[in-house]
Amino acid sequence: MLSFDLHKRKFLTVFLLLLFAWSLMGVNWQEGVMHSSGISTAGEIFAAMFTPDLSMDILLLAAESSWLTLAYATAGMSLALILALIFGILASGVLSSGKRSRTLMKGSFRGVLGFMRAIHELVWAWLFVASFGLSPYAAIFALAIPYGGILGRIFADMINDVPEEPIKALRATGASRLQCLFYGYLPSVKNSMISYTMYRYECAVRSSAIMSFVGLGGLGYQIQLSLDDLHYDEVWTFLYFLIILVVIIDGWSNMLRRRMAQ
Amino acid sequence: MSEKNIIEINQISKNYERKIALSSLSFVVEKGELIALIGPSGAGKTTLLNLLASILEADSGELLVDGKPMSQFSDQKKRAKKIGIIRQQFDLVGQLPVIHNVLAGRLADWGFFKSLFNLFIPQERQEATTALKRVGLPDKLYERTSNLSGGEQQRVALARLLMQKPEIILADEPVASLDPARADDVLDMLTKLAKEEHQTVIASLHSVDYARKYFTRLIALKNGKLFFDLPADQVTDKQLEELYQLKELS
Repeated sequence: MLSFDLHKRKFLTVFLLLLFAWSLMGVNWQEGVMHSSGISTAGEIFAAMFTPDLSMDILLLAAESSWLTLAYATAGMSLALILALIFGILASGVLSSGKRSRTLMKGSFRGVLGFMRAIHELVWAWLFVASFGLSPYAAIFALAIPYGGILGRIFADMINDVPEEPIKALRATGASRLQCLFYGYLPSVKNSMISYTMYRYECAVRSSAIMSFVGLGGLGYQIQLSLDDLHYDEVWTFLYFLIILVVIIDGWSNMLRRRMAQ
Repeated sequence: MSEKNIIEINQISKNYERKIALSSLSFVVEKGELIALIGPSGAGKTTLLNLLASILEADSGELLVDGKPMSQFSDQKKRAKKIGIIRQQFDLVGQLPVIHNVLAGRLADWGFFKSLFNLFIPQERQEATTALKRVGLPDKLYERTSNLSGGEQQRVALARLLMQKPEIILADEPVASLDPARADDVLDMLTKLAKEEHQTVIASLHSVDYARKYFTRLIALKNGKLFFDLPADQVTDKQLEELYQLKELS
């Protein structure tokens, strides 16, 4: 049976490779792949990588935009965490007693979480900007909803993967479902929840930067303005600030993880 | 032994699909008895304990605890006051500090907010400390439970039972995953504490030696039937040999 499956997988690989080769024939290689001055523009952009604009006002602007980007990401993530905890715990089904109510609860809340993350944060941003205008709330909600959906889904899976024995033992000491949640499930998954949330926070900073292309201010917005003015050196200043942000958060998350491991 | 019967089992049967796990088993347990369930694997020891713990329900027959049918103990909190369970290790929440695993024995008596508050500021510290002292772990209060050795974890489980104070303790292979020295230690402590608290113990064991050493009465099961039920000092080697024999003598 297994060898048959492996066989099938090889067929699939070959099929996909052939499909890819065939798709290459669909490309018009003469024109359309790159516009005429594309290569020289790309050269200019990457040359600017080594000469970022380090003048005082650009640095200040970059620092301010980084702060804004970080603030959106942090606020969005905090809200996402609250949403994820509530919906994630409900979607894990550990609070319901009967088998049928558990299936119902799992199904419906997993559905809600699926809806939240099916729509990309950029699309949520468009929708919220269209309804709220260019306000920080648009950015925060646009981040919080899909990230809440992603985190909630993962939290629910983590809770469902908690080993059964300690939970059964808690039930035997007379603990209610809610008491089991706080004494069994949550302590067991706390560390993985924190490290996954930190990873998602890092993603949220990147998303927040991208989202400001919509016009919400922040690093992405500045990158767009500088690109439009063909100031590639400024673009790189902003990009370096973004990289620094992500590296700092990664360092923080490593620190947290090391402390939790003790 | 004029005290009243705490458990009465009357013609109890349990089948898994076609397979017979227990067939018309009957016996009576008096308060304060220390009973070891022995017998080969698949004899029905765990099934019997699960019936007593009301994890399973019998197909037929009668099971009385304190003179009342099991159905009267369907409330988790009420049942926890009557019956406590200890299994192999892996029964504790490893990521919690020891004190919370011990205090979990009080969850039946605590409301939700008290138990939540307890996670931040441990309640009834005095009792928890005393319980840990009695199991010989006085200085491990705030240690992370998963950092403890297997034997120490079983002692924490015993301390939790001390906080729970059930009248009956069901022990399902409580020392299966421990080395002989730790196993001796845990069984010694379990039976000693149970005597001090006037609790009744029913423990399933693989090792006949432990059963004879620490328990007062041996109930042997084979193929879901009662093979013998004797005081520990009256069990003969011949009976044990027959109990564990692979094929029936015809």
